[in-house]
Amino acid sequence: MRFALASASLLRHGPRTLLAVLGVAVSAALLLDMVMLSTGLGVSFRALLTRQGFDLRIAPRGTLPFDTEATVDRASEVARQLRGHPAVIAVSPVLGASVHVPRADGSIAATALGVDQAVQGDYELLEGVDVAHDGAIVVNDAFLAATGARLGDTLELATGYDPQLRAVVGSRRLVVTGRARFIYLSADQRAVALRLPVLQAMGGAQRTDRVNLFMVRLAEGADADAVQRWVGQRIPRVTAISTASAIEQVDARLSYFRQLSVILGSVSLIVGFLLVTTLVTVSVNERIGEIAVMRAIGVSRAHIVHQILLESLAISLAGAALGLGLGLVTARWLNAILVTFPGLPEAIDFFVFKPRAAWTALGLLAAVGIAAGIYPSWRGASLPIARTLREEAVG
Amino acid sequence: MSAIPVRPAAAAVAPRPGEPLLIASRLRREYRLGAETVHAVRDVSLTIGSGEYVAIVGPSGCGKSTLLHLLGAIDRPDGGSLAIGGRDIARLGDAEATAFRLHQVGFVFQRFYLVPTLTARENVELPMAEAGRRGADRARRARELLDYVGLLGRERHRPAQLSGGEQQRVAIARALANDPALLLADEPTGELDLRTGAEVVALFRRLNEDGTTIVVVTHDEELARAASRVLHMRDGVIVHDAPADREAR
Amino acid sequence: MLPLLLALVLQQPQRAGEPPASGGAPATRAERTIAIDERLAADARLGVGDRVVVAGAPDAPGDTVRIAAIVRRRADPAEVARDEYTVRLHLDHLQALSGYGDRVDYFAVATVGAAATGFVVDRINDAAFGFRAHRSADIAVETSRTFAVVSRFHRAIGVITIVASATFLLCILLLKVDERRRDIAALRLVGISRRAVVRAVVIEAALIAALGSLLGIGIGWAASAIVNWHYGAVYRTPLAFALVTPEIVAFAVALSVVLGVLAGWLAAQRLVRRPPLALLGR
Repeated sequence: MRFALASASLLRHGPRTLLAVLGVAVSAALLLDMVMLSTGLGVSFRALLTRQGFDLRIAPRGTLPFDTEATVDRASEVARQLRGHPAVIAVSPVLGASVHVPRADGSIAATALGVDQAVQGDYELLEGVDVAHDGAIVVNDAFLAATGARLGDTLELATGYDPQLRAVVGSRRLVVTGRARFIYLSADQRAVALRLPVLQAMGGAQRTDRVNLFMVRLAEGADADAVQRWVGQRIPRVTAISTASAIEQVDARLSYFRQLSVILGSVSLIVGFLLVTTLVTVSVNERIGEIAVMRAIGVSRAHIVHQILLESLAISLAGAALGLGLGLVTARWLNAILVTFPGLPEAIDFFVFKPRAAWTALGLLAAVGIAAGIYPSWRGASLPIARTLREEAVG
Repeated sequence: MSAIPVRPAAAAVAPRPGEPLLIASRLRREYRLGAETVHAVRDVSLTIGSGEYVAIVGPSGCGKSTLLHLLGAIDRPDGGSLAIGGRDIARLGDAEATAFRLHQVGFVFQRFYLVPTLTARENVELPMAEAGRRGADRARRARELLDYVGLLGRERHRPAQLSGGEQQRVAIARALANDPALLLADEPTGELDLRTGAEVVALFRRLNEDGTTIVVVTHDEELARAASRVLHMRDGVIVHDAPADREAR
Repeated sequence: MLPLLLALVLQQPQRAGEPPASGGAPATRAERTIAIDERLAADARLGVGDRVVVAGAPDAPGDTVRIAAIVRRRADPAEVARDEYTVRLHLDHLQALSGYGDRVDYFAVATVGAAATGFVVDRINDAAFGFRAHRSADIAVETSRTFAVVSRFHRAIGVITIVASATFLLCILLLKVDERRRDIAALRLVGISRRAVVRAVVIEAALIAALGSLLGIGIGWAASAIVNWHYGAVYRTPLAFALVTPEIVAFAVALSVVLGVLAGWLAAQRLVRRPPLALLGR
């Protein structure tokens, strides 16, 4: 009977209830988006970092991988030390540099990664063969599009210019042997990969035996934190970053979005709360005589409270159900905007749907629904019966 | 119309043999109306026996409705005592008063106050549902009561689809739902035309003949004449208490 | 970017007035000076006159330098979430420390006017080999791409919140007008025309919406002050994260009034079509 009364009272003013449900739905959509935003980047970034199975990143001390142009010198010595740890099963050194493809009308710049192709985790080969020899490069689609090159073509790549001699320096002729997707680079960033010693040699003395980053794969079950500490003690000129601390640092960089999500999520909850509480309060005010009569014929306060809370909960949950669908659509839209951040890896998403996000949003809205019903239900349950009847009779 | 489905004076408040159903002594009720204190009921004492049909009449604002609210445990007196079926009603807590109203008192109001979104049958079922009666049982009982008030066949209609007289009859059926010891009515014909008012008067008379104790507040002379006893109130005081046949003279 | 700055390492602070640490800079060489930003000064408890060692790498010996100035960071959105310190050195000193040789990242060139800028850019690019000249405005556009994305994101969020608040406003105003049905019935009963009733209701709804939006602007202003205070403290920046501009105020008031008029008109139309007695519940 309470359900029947609650639903009947909501249906009594159909358009008004519909409008309130729509309002709650938009708030719910925003809330879901904000819950997704608050966790999405971490989830997505973790997936990106763990995709190739590397547990630690070793960068020049005090820096994040490729965050600066700082490099680790005597890299082979560091690699040897790292490989000496019993838990380390693979060390993948990476050197980054800008390279230029000279053209008659200027040059095309690209990011080059020098890698050990046997253990590299920076790209996934899509077509052709890997950098099997010193004269081979693997490139991405953006590079092919910019240079017009095709697999099998030979290109001249240089690492710099000498303005005095008006000539390129560190130049090599290399064959495009494969097409790849570079995991940590954005889709529109032109990229090539070649063997590490080749890129080091092209860079001259400044890059001899230097790398920007080591990616370290550990044996299954190994304690990444323990290895991280070991690296900190044994090789003080580098910083070891575990997946967790990398996520933490990226999270700190993008904390703005997390904070924004908290603020906007709270605002959407407040809007939803105000909407529901206003609607239900007005609805209670309108049938105050009816409620007084129900109390007069023996309907308990608890019944009145339950009925009004049910109404408020029903609006919130109906809005939430509608809002979850709407939220998924708007999340895609917002994600499409944010993934256009310059330099953001292709695989990164800001909004990642997890059932937990939906449950969190639903739970929060249910709580708001109940909270929104507290005042009107208190008002309905505590009204003085005789006085209300007297006033209603006059009205 | 069916035989009476009413089982008046439920055991819980049955008066001891020889004792009246209702004993009010020096009942007093005041309330504030702006800066002014209204003495709505002043030291009213009365007794009502089981099966009596009492009409309370008097000018507007004389305290009739307030007295009715006190008798039905809707309102609490500021002074005096009130016992119904031997039970002290004046000092009941809210939960006890609610339960008392649910099981022992039936109310009929001038404006019917049916829940507009429920059907006639659902409206009648409402107090029974509150009392915890099962669905099939209360549906059967609601049909019996609607049959009693002459509305069988209209049970699926909502209040807006019923005339004023029909709505009031649904309200009467609702008041009878939990077999109350006492039926209280506040201007039950106030919103009705002469013909439908007369139908309600007849229904009240029949109810009383079937054993229901009724107290009705009214301006309607017809309804007052149907009562076995008429109380006149003025300025919160019963100024005249006499059997209706004497009134008629 | 100036990556070298990030690789600099400051070591061994020595308070002003204390004698130089042994093994510091040779006394014969002129003492070099640096400027540090307020954040570093606060975190490392450094002040003007303190001596520190700066090095190009963690294990490099470095130079002992004196802090000559503490500078305020610019309100640069690009640096807002980067919890970094900035140290300014003389160019030759930085080049020497970093082993970068006679190199720079870029030259900033001042010209006598916009026309001259175009001419200089063209001449440099015709003659240059290995570098290019860019207009500062073009670089600003390029470097502000991140903020263009953030800005688009904020606009999208804005659209969603406007839809939510518009629905909210419409709902509230409908309720508000609906509450007046008894008054409307009374007006109709005493012979006031439907048109006059609708006009009165619409004006009232518009006034309520306008007053509500003015109150909302006050709340918005307070909220933006809190947001700016909060983010300013979190990121230690003088940047303003939320601004209540005259355009936003105008938009908010206009939207509220339009919705108020719409809701008032819709509700009034619904009410005046019903018989007055029905509105009174008779």
